[in-house]
Amino acid sequence: MQNPFVCLLDYGSGNVKSVYNMISILTSNVKISNNPSDIKAASHLILPGVGAFATAMEKIHKSIPLKVLQAEVFEKKKPFLGICVGMQVLATVGLEFGKCSGLNWIPGQVDKLRSEDLPLPHIGWNNITFKKPSSVTKRFTPEPDFYFLHSYAYKLETVDPSYVIATAMYGEEFCAVIEKDNIFGVQFHPEKSQKAGKILLENFLSL
Amino acid sequence: MKKKRLIPILLLKNGWLVQSKQFSRFQNLGNPVTAVKRMSEWASDELVYLDISRDQTYDLRRNDLAYPNRHKIIDILEDVSKMALMPITVGGGIQTLSDIQIRLAKGADKISLNTKALQNPNFITKTAKEFGSQCIVISIDVKTIGGKAVVMNHFGQKATEYGPVEWAKKVEVLGAGEILLNSIDRDGMKTGYDLELIKSVTNAVKIPVIACGGAGEWNHFAQAFNETNVDAVAAANIFQHIDQSVYLAKKFLYEQGYPIRPADLLLMP
Amino acid sequence: MRYCKKCVYPEVAVNLYIDEEGICSGCRTAEKFDALTSGFWEQRKKRFEDIISSIKKTSHSNYDCIVPVSGGKDSYYQTHVVTSYGLKPLLVTYHGNNYLPEGDYNRDRMRQVFDADHIVFGPSVETLKRLNRLCFRKMGDMNWHNHCGLMTYPIQIAVKFNIPLIVWGEIAWDISGMYEPDDFVEFSNRIRHEHALRGFEWNDLINDPKENLSEKDLLWAKYPTDEEILKVGVRGIYIGNFFKWEPNKHTKLVQNKYAWKPRKDKFDRTYRTFSNVDDRYENGVHDYLKFIKFGYGRASDHASKDIRSGDMTREQGIEMVRKYDHMIPKDLYHWLDYVDMKESEFWKIANSFRNPLVWHKDKKGNWVKDNIWDNK
Repeated sequence: MQNPFVCLLDYGSGNVKSVYNMISILTSNVKISNNPSDIKAASHLILPGVGAFATAMEKIHKSIPLKVLQAEVFEKKKPFLGICVGMQVLATVGLEFGKCSGLNWIPGQVDKLRSEDLPLPHIGWNNITFKKPSSVTKRFTPEPDFYFLHSYAYKLETVDPSYVIATAMYGEEFCAVIEKDNIFGVQFHPEKSQKAGKILLENFLSL
Repeated sequence: MKKKRLIPILLLKNGWLVQSKQFSRFQNLGNPVTAVKRMSEWASDELVYLDISRDQTYDLRRNDLAYPNRHKIIDILEDVSKMALMPITVGGGIQTLSDIQIRLAKGADKISLNTKALQNPNFITKTAKEFGSQCIVISIDVKTIGGKAVVMNHFGQKATEYGPVEWAKKVEVLGAGEILLNSIDRDGMKTGYDLELIKSVTNAVKIPVIACGGAGEWNHFAQAFNETNVDAVAAANIFQHIDQSVYLAKKFLYEQGYPIRPADLLLMP
Repeated sequence: MRYCKKCVYPEVAVNLYIDEEGICSGCRTAEKFDALTSGFWEQRKKRFEDIISSIKKTSHSNYDCIVPVSGGKDSYYQTHVVTSYGLKPLLVTYHGNNYLPEGDYNRDRMRQVFDADHIVFGPSVETLKRLNRLCFRKMGDMNWHNHCGLMTYPIQIAVKFNIPLIVWGEIAWDISGMYEPDDFVEFSNRIRHEHALRGFEWNDLINDPKENLSEKDLLWAKYPTDEEILKVGVRGIYIGNFFKWEPNKHTKLVQNKYAWKPRKDKFDRTYRTFSNVDDRYENGVHDYLKFIKFGYGRASDHASKDIRSGDMTREQGIEMVRKYDHMIPKDLYHWLDYVDMKESEFWKIANSFRNPLVWHKDKKGNWVKDNIWDNK
C-alpha cells in the first residue's frame, strides 16, 4: 500500500507506545485510537498487548468497539495484526486462570508453555522456523531472531496447519506467526525486534 | 533456540551519561540519547538504563546543543525509548507503583528495583501482581567485606545483612522476573567478571541472571558463558570506549560459536 | 559558582564533573596519569609496537596509516612518533582557511621534514564563510566547520584509500578528564558528534533561509557509515594512550628536531604561545565565545593544565584567569571583516548564548558573573 493509515488500538495494554515509535519510522500516518471513525478510516489495524489473556479480553470488551472492528476486518478485509497478547486473543479460548473466551478469529487454544524446567516467562531473543510462505515474512534471513516475552502461546496441535506460518521452540514447539486471510498474529514483539521487526511491519504495511 | 544476550548498561547521573569506577568515581561522557542511538545502530539485544543520580537535578548545563537539555528523568526516558527498537529496562529511584506505571507508559519494557526492594521486599510481590513478573528486574549490588560477599544498599554504600545467594533466592520467591547482579569491586576495573559470585547465584535460582561488573575485553563475556549459567552478560563503561563496540563484541562471540544473535547494523534516523 | 579546589575550572566547564571532595574530573584523571609507572608505559609502548608490526604485515602496497595533521606542534609530534617507527604515513589536513602565516609555514613544511605524503583539503571559501556565520548564529561557534572537517575528512580518506589505521594525538577530552588511562579509548563518532559537533551534522545546516548551503557544499562533512568503517576496519588510536603525553616536552622536541615555528606575537587571551597557530580564531574569538557562554576561557584551560603538571600554583593560575579570560580578542575584527558581519550583530547573537547559570545582568544592564578570585 502506497500511503497506509495505521490505527493502533489501545485498550490499556502497555506497549502501544513502543509499537507507535517503530511504525512512526515507517510512516507518519499512524494514530493510537479506539475511535470508530479512525478504525473505519484506517487502511491497517494493529492490536498490541502485554499481560494476561483474561485481563486483555476484559479490557478489549470495555474499550474497543468490536462490532465496528469486526466489520472492517471481515467485510472490508482490512489487514489486521495482533501482537503478543493481541495475537492470543484471536484464539477460541485461553486457559490462563481458568477458561476464557477469545475472539475466535483464528480458531485454536492458548495455554501455558510446557517448558519442563526452563524458566518462565520465555524472555529473550529466539529464532522462528518457517512452515509456510507468507506475505509478512518475505525478505527474512532463514531463521530470524525475534524478541519474545510470554508464558502462554497458541498450542500448535490446536491450530489448523494451514494457518501456521512459523513456529518457535521453547520447551515445546509453539505458534510464532499465524495467518488467516487478512488476519495476522505474531507472538513475539516486532517493535522490540529491531531490523527483523522493522521488516515484518514493512511487509505488513505494504499489503 | 533461545539466545544468550549481550546488554549495554547506560548510567545516568544528573542528566549525564557517565562512567562509573567501583561506584565511587564518575566521569561525564555526554548525552545519554546519542549513546542509545549508537547502541541501537549496533543491534544491542537489550538496553539497561540506570539512573544513579543522588539528587533530582538533571542538567547538561548548557543550551547550545542540538539535543534538548532535559530536566526530568521521564523526558529523558521518552527520548531514549524513541531511539531504542529493542527492549529497555529502566531503573533508579523507583519508589511507588505509580513510578513504575509512568515508566512503562513512556516506553520502558522492564523496570529495575534495588533499594526499594531491600527496604520493602513485599513491594516486589505487589509489582509482580500489578504488572507481571516479566517486567521486574531486581538489581543486586555486591561488595566483598572481610572476605564475605555482602549485598549493598543505597548506591553501594550501606551494607545489608544479606549475602547475594540468600537475597537472590528470596527475590525469586517474591516474584522477580530477572536478576541483575553487579560486582562493586569489579565495576569499571576491566579485570573480568567475578565468576565465583555469578556461579553462586546462577546455581541458586531458576530465573535468568544478568552479570555485570568487570568486563574489559570480549573474552570476559566468553568466560562468563563458559563457566557460569548466566542468561546475559552486561557491561557499561567498555561499550563507550571504542566505536562499533557492541557489533564487534557480538561478532567475536558469534564467530566463536556462542549462542547469541549475529552481529548486525541498523540505520537509525 | 563552585570551582575545583585544585585547578581553576568552574563547575560549568564543559563535560566536567566535580566530586564530593570538590576536585574535578580533569584533576582526578591527571592524578591517575601521574601515578602511572614507567613499567606501565613500557607495556603500553609494547602494545603500540604490536599494532605497528601487525599493520606492517598487511599494508604492503598502501600507506601504513593516516595521521590527521593541522601543522601544529601536536601534529609534528604525532608524525614524529609514527615515522620514527618506520611507518609511511599519509598526512591529511583539513584546511579551514584560518591559518596564521606561521601555521601555513609549519603545515607546508611537513612533507619536507618528514618522509610522508600529504593531502591538504579545503572547502570553498564561500562555503566556509557561510558556515562561519550560520554556526555562530545557530550554536555560538563559528569554528564548527573546523572541528567537523578535522574529524571527518581523515576518516573519509581512510575509507576511500582503504587505510585502516588512523593515529591521533591527545586522548579525547583529556581536559575534562573524561577518560582514565585504563579506559584505553579509541576515536569514536559519538565523541565527535556530541562534543566536537554539539550534536549537529551536515544535514542540520542545509536549507537555512539566510545561508544557502546544499548537500554538495558539505560532502566533506559526511561521516562514513558503520558499514563502510567496518569493511575497511578503520580504527583511530590515540598516541596519548601509548606514550606519556607531555606537551611542553613535545614542543621542545619538534622545535629542536624539525624547526617547528611558534607564533611570533602573543595571544590576547592566554599566556601560552605554542598553541593553535593552525587556527587563529581557536584561541581568539572562538574561545571568547566560550567565555560568553560559560564564563571561562583558554587561560583557564592552560592554567588548569599547568597546575596539574606542577608548572604553576593555583594562585598563579587564578592570576592568569583574572588577566586573560575576559579579554576581547583583536581577531574578532579580523573575523567580522572576513565574514562581513557588523559588530552590533555579533554582540546581539553572542549575548543570546550567555548561560543563565553563569551570567546575570546588574542594575546598569552589564553582564556580570561570579569570579574565582572572589571565592577566597
